[in-house]
Amino acid sequence: MRRLAVDVGGTFTDCFVEWDGRHIESKALTTYHNLAVGFLEAVDRAAAQLGLEADRMLGGVDSVRYGTTLGTNALIERRGPRLGVIVTMGFECGMRLSRGRGYGDGLPRHLQVDLAGATRPAPLVDQALIVGVNERIDARGEVLLPLNADDVRAKVRRLVDQGAQGFVVALVNSVVNTAHEERIEEIIRDEYPSTLFGSFPVILSHRISQRKSEYARMMAAVVCGFLHEQMFYSLGNLEEALRERNYRKPVLLIHNTGGMASLESTHALQTIHSGPVAGLGAAQRVAQEHSLPVVVATDMGGTSFDVGIAQGQGSWLYDFNPVIDRWLVSTPMVYLRTLGAGGGSIARYDRLWRTVQVGPDSAGSEPGPACYGRGGMEPTVSDADLVLGYLSPDYYADGSLQLDRSLAELVIEENLVSQLGGSVVQAALLVKQKVDRNMADAVFMEVATRGFDPRKISLISYGGAGPVHCCGFAAALGVDRVMVPPFSAVFSAFGAANLRQLHLHERSVYLTVYNPLTREVTLDIAAVNRICDDLEAQGADDLARQGFDSSAIRHQVEFEMRYGNQLVQLSVPSPIARLRNVDDVLGLIDAFRINYSERFGEKAAAPEAGVKIVAVRVVSWVVGTAVKLESAETSRGATPRPAGERTCHFLSHPEGVATPVYRWNTLGASSALPGPAIIEAPHTTYVVEPGWRFETDASGGAWMTRVNGQH
Amino acid sequence: MATAVKSKLEQFLDETVVFYGPDREILGDHRLAPRSVLEERAMAKHRDPHTTSLLRSKLEVTAEEAFYQLEQTGAAPGAKWGDLIAGIFTAEGDLAVASSGGVLLFSVVCQPVLRYVMKYWRNEPTVGVRPGDVFMSTDPRFGNIHTPDQNMFIPVFTDEGELALWVMVIVHEGENGSVEPGGMPSAAESPYMEGIRMPPVKVGENFTLRRDVVTWLQNSVRDPMLQIQDMKIRLSACLKIKERIDEIAREYSWEELVAALRWTLEDTEAEVRRRLAAWPDGTVRSTVFADSTLRENALIKIAVEARKRGDELVLDFRGTSPQFTNRSNNTVLHALKGMLAQEFLTFVWPDLPRNQAVFAPMRVVTDYGSALDCTPEAPNAQSMMTFFPAFTALQMVVPKFIYACSRRYTKILSPWYNMITTFIYGGINQYGETVGNLCADLNGMSGGARDDADGENSISPIFAAMTDLGEQEVLEEETPIVKIVPHRLMTDNCGFGKFRGGTGYQMIATVRRADAFGFMTTCVGSKFPSTYGLFGGYGAPTYPLCKVKGVNAFDKLKDLPEERWTVASIMNERPFEGARYSTHHMGMQFEIVKQGELYMIVQGAGGGYGDPLERDPDAVIKDIRDAIISESTARRIFKVAFDARTLSVDAKETERLRNEEREARKRRARPFDEFLKDWVKPAPPEGLPYYGAWDDRETIYMGSPERKAPRGQALGVTMPDPRDVRIAQLEDMLRKAGINLQE
Repeated sequence: MRRLAVDVGGTFTDCFVEWDGRHIESKALTTYHNLAVGFLEAVDRAAAQLGLEADRMLGGVDSVRYGTTLGTNALIERRGPRLGVIVTMGFECGMRLSRGRGYGDGLPRHLQVDLAGATRPAPLVDQALIVGVNERIDARGEVLLPLNADDVRAKVRRLVDQGAQGFVVALVNSVVNTAHEERIEEIIRDEYPSTLFGSFPVILSHRISQRKSEYARMMAAVVCGFLHEQMFYSLGNLEEALRERNYRKPVLLIHNTGGMASLESTHALQTIHSGPVAGLGAAQRVAQEHSLPVVVATDMGGTSFDVGIAQGQGSWLYDFNPVIDRWLVSTPMVYLRTLGAGGGSIARYDRLWRTVQVGPDSAGSEPGPACYGRGGMEPTVSDADLVLGYLSPDYYADGSLQLDRSLAELVIEENLVSQLGGSVVQAALLVKQKVDRNMADAVFMEVATRGFDPRKISLISYGGAGPVHCCGFAAALGVDRVMVPPFSAVFSAFGAANLRQLHLHERSVYLTVYNPLTREVTLDIAAVNRICDDLEAQGADDLARQGFDSSAIRHQVEFEMRYGNQLVQLSVPSPIARLRNVDDVLGLIDAFRINYSERFGEKAAAPEAGVKIVAVRVVSWVVGTAVKLESAETSRGATPRPAGERTCHFLSHPEGVATPVYRWNTLGASSALPGPAIIEAPHTTYVVEPGWRFETDASGGAWMTRVNGQH
Repeated sequence: MATAVKSKLEQFLDETVVFYGPDREILGDHRLAPRSVLEERAMAKHRDPHTTSLLRSKLEVTAEEAFYQLEQTGAAPGAKWGDLIAGIFTAEGDLAVASSGGVLLFSVVCQPVLRYVMKYWRNEPTVGVRPGDVFMSTDPRFGNIHTPDQNMFIPVFTDEGELALWVMVIVHEGENGSVEPGGMPSAAESPYMEGIRMPPVKVGENFTLRRDVVTWLQNSVRDPMLQIQDMKIRLSACLKIKERIDEIAREYSWEELVAALRWTLEDTEAEVRRRLAAWPDGTVRSTVFADSTLRENALIKIAVEARKRGDELVLDFRGTSPQFTNRSNNTVLHALKGMLAQEFLTFVWPDLPRNQAVFAPMRVVTDYGSALDCTPEAPNAQSMMTFFPAFTALQMVVPKFIYACSRRYTKILSPWYNMITTFIYGGINQYGETVGNLCADLNGMSGGARDDADGENSISPIFAAMTDLGEQEVLEEETPIVKIVPHRLMTDNCGFGKFRGGTGYQMIATVRRADAFGFMTTCVGSKFPSTYGLFGGYGAPTYPLCKVKGVNAFDKLKDLPEERWTVASIMNERPFEGARYSTHHMGMQFEIVKQGELYMIVQGAGGGYGDPLERDPDAVIKDIRDAIISESTARRIFKVAFDARTLSVDAKETERLRNEEREARKRRARPFDEFLKDWVKPAPPEGLPYYGAWDDRETIYMGSPERKAPRGQALGVTMPDPRDVRIAQLEDMLRKAGINLQE
């Protein structure tokens, strides 16, 4: 297998290459002016490790996969075209009002609950560029008010006069009757043919999302329109650059659905957060390799703590109404949460509870923690870690940054000890304990509310600060084992190398499966199967267009179901490809009950309130091969010898304990170290707390395991 | 009397009680209970604030998890946007840890329910409080806000069998079998027309609901599916919390857990007292009015005098209107307190934990039998019509204390719009199901202006954050309601000021595919504004209900140009030939809507902050561009001169106009004493249906200058049936026309 995957991140562009069983990792600085430059630099470095010219490597790989964490920058910086938005008359203010809650979407909880301070972000589209057209379709698709073509033409011209550079058409109930949106597209094409001003992109909301929810669907289309041009320009550039370097196949873009596709089968919205989703793909790969049913992947960096859930059997956990930057959209996206906890999280004295509070605000990278010596005057988690002996002042971030312990001690003394009393170390221990608790609570909340038992999960920890704290937050969570995975420095790129072509097609429906008033199982099986056939054909077409034979394509039907009129709609994978009779429907009802009860408790299941299907979805994918989970680093020395020793302070040993310090590159494939121990790697530090044990495995990963009976 | 006889008499009286009704002693005291023996013991052992903080954090996550579960699985529309709370209470009934979202006024109103159980049922042989018991109540006279709210609660015991704490969840369920569908009947003339009135009742044992009790409740409401489903989800949420608490107790200990709950309360109260102590001492007064009982026009006075001394705040509402004995707009006292607590938790100190102790240092003084402290026989399903204005009165008062504080915890705010402008609906939907509930538009209240920013347009209700206006496509899927205009912001509908209040949107709705389906609406503020400005800012306008009947709008709208799809245009220009156009106050009792007929309402505006003459002229022009204000308003109110074609500001002329207006104001000004001489009248004017104190709060007026009583003796007003009033008016007209009516 020869495969290349790249993840363009905020600071580094990471590259992972599988080349006939060899696994290569490389990095280059991300080049914002032209992402292709950093991309090719990382590729060059990988090729150099293989002893090849980059052109030869690129000519030899079966695919180039591309993921990025940068998708939201254009939104945040408002770098997009002036879009004209056409909606049903009466719905013009939807974007401005953002369902009321829009002021808080994308914000941390403490800002959401501050109503006096609540302020909506400026809309992506000026109100003057949003017009209503005289038309109306009802919930069943019946036309209540016919579209008035003259009205549309006048509005389209008005939008162009106002400077619209592209159009989004988002009409009410267009997912059940697409005619009016399609007619408007015809009118725009007729009024402004591509021969006149060049092509105006026209995005119809029903082509972006087939779900009912006119605001979230409109915003999905608007975000798509906003990012469309830039994405196609930059990715077109990249494809061109790769063609010049001997890569002739299409670049495969990682989708936030956990799949990937070529550029022409991708809309911009699908690329948002594709980097972190690829990281979750890597976690999924780890889960499969180690037969772990549920893995919670945690990425603790300098300013954030990302949490995602991967399942060993390969299915994804989706958020169908994710918030992108500050915008609630309708699109299926692999579930991920970013929380405010990291090495830069600021610690303060909490007058109310007479203890320390950590976060949610962060010192960020500038000025960063006080120990960076860049002017930070507030104590952070990293300052506490330094004081406690976990971090080395001389070997942080591969030695690129010298840490100043005296500054860390000073800010802890001035800001915390002055209020709490005690010593600097005691205060630092409180900071560590609190941030570990915060992360444990965050993981608990994410896991529990998605129906998993927090006690039965496996934790994966990566990111620069993750292995420093993973023993601490795992213990706080009640989890006894944490894995720091192989390839963790290029984890998203490794994940991208393992994803497969996958497409998701879905449709909002309103089907009563069981009517409690008439006490009948009423599902129209033929109608459901027609929808499944249609969605499956769309998925097959998508994949056929990318050159896949139908024999390689697989489909899974999923139903979104609920009891009565509740909000939650659980995805229930259909036990069989097509429903045939009442017995199959009862099987489906039972599958839903089991799924629902696992998540909310058996007593919460209420089939007597009626059972409904509100969406049908078909997931279509191509069977593919995965990269073997084996790091190039597994041939390191076998007998670990400490490189040194320093005093570290732990909750169980607040007075300090002499702790051996190892270098990661001296450890073997099955090294085992009892805690306390410190293992220093170029991009992170492993803190093995007392009562924990550290082991490396053949894959190049490391396991931290709590020794029985020790807490 | 001999001791033995006295004792015998006491025993007789204790044992011979006809009815364990609402307990005034419980309802009147919202302070924290004294430390229990268990709490004393636990707190003596567990004093480390750091450990308590870690434990508390787990409890908070537990409450959040339950909140999320309720929101996701609840079938009631209110549940879906967070009209609920999940909490952990001390054994004595004080809410210690609650979910951060949802309706925070619940944080004060649940306490009486638990205190009632502890006082009356714990030792009652036929009831008792045992492991596995499941309790529920709906009657606000025992706790809760109004009858559409349904709670569920379970006791949690230590391993030694000692009652450690309570777990409770409460959800606004809506439909409850009241005289009108949807659970908030404005037509109710007694508490017995307001749906299920359930005092705290044991509804299950062994953590299982009794099907006979569930059936009884289903039998009492229009939507039996909703009733059973949400009882199950409430119980499941309680059980989820209990499961987590058991885990926490295993990790720490029951004593540590009990100590953490109590420390949480006491630390919170101490912090609130510190914050209050930082306010300047003083007295601030505010008066607001509700203009309707929802059945008839009435000017209902809500007055507050806030006295702050040291670390205590007294909120004195004496002089407020008497209760209406046959109208549902009365408030039970703890609901008032809950709404007042909401102001502090959401708008003053949003960083504080959500628990009972936040309101503990406040003292509320009311007249028993007034509209804000009604007696048990007064209906109260629409208590929002008086306690929301009371909240506004507090919002007028608080900024005047905190303006001078060096440390603020959020922005200073003008009053938020305070009415639930939405369509409450009911009837038989397009699937043949009987339903009754309300649209999520009640969440579209506009924000008040801030001391440094405009208020946000229709954003959030006063009682919760991060609610949701919902999606019309989903509403249309589930109900026959069609919003022709769901959310169009209305021009000139904002409180003007240096910073303007948020603008509200207009709604034009009808129904399709249902012949037995209708609406009701419940707001005050159709004739007298309900929301006011601050420091020179303007208040909200008034909002009538508008109807267009005798028309099928879908036949006509295709010809209506864009600019006429507004309430004002439709009502002023009357574009549908043959249709009947009418306006009403917003207290519309339930009525069936014919398909295609239009019902039109408008979300209210937030109050403005500061003098409009100080508003940045560029901001005024931007408001014109965004259709928030008209050009006329820009010129008349804000005194901005601009080119109507280019909308460019003439700065010099603007300054001249503003100075001119300032001078004109001075010319209109009069010495205060002189003003008072003309302005102050000895009594309410004849013909004004005025309720409450006039100048002297010792005298309460009850609808006319002649009808008055000393405060404390004005125990209620009974209103005539509006239909009887109308018949009398018509009969009078007939008599005057010379027609002799036969009796």
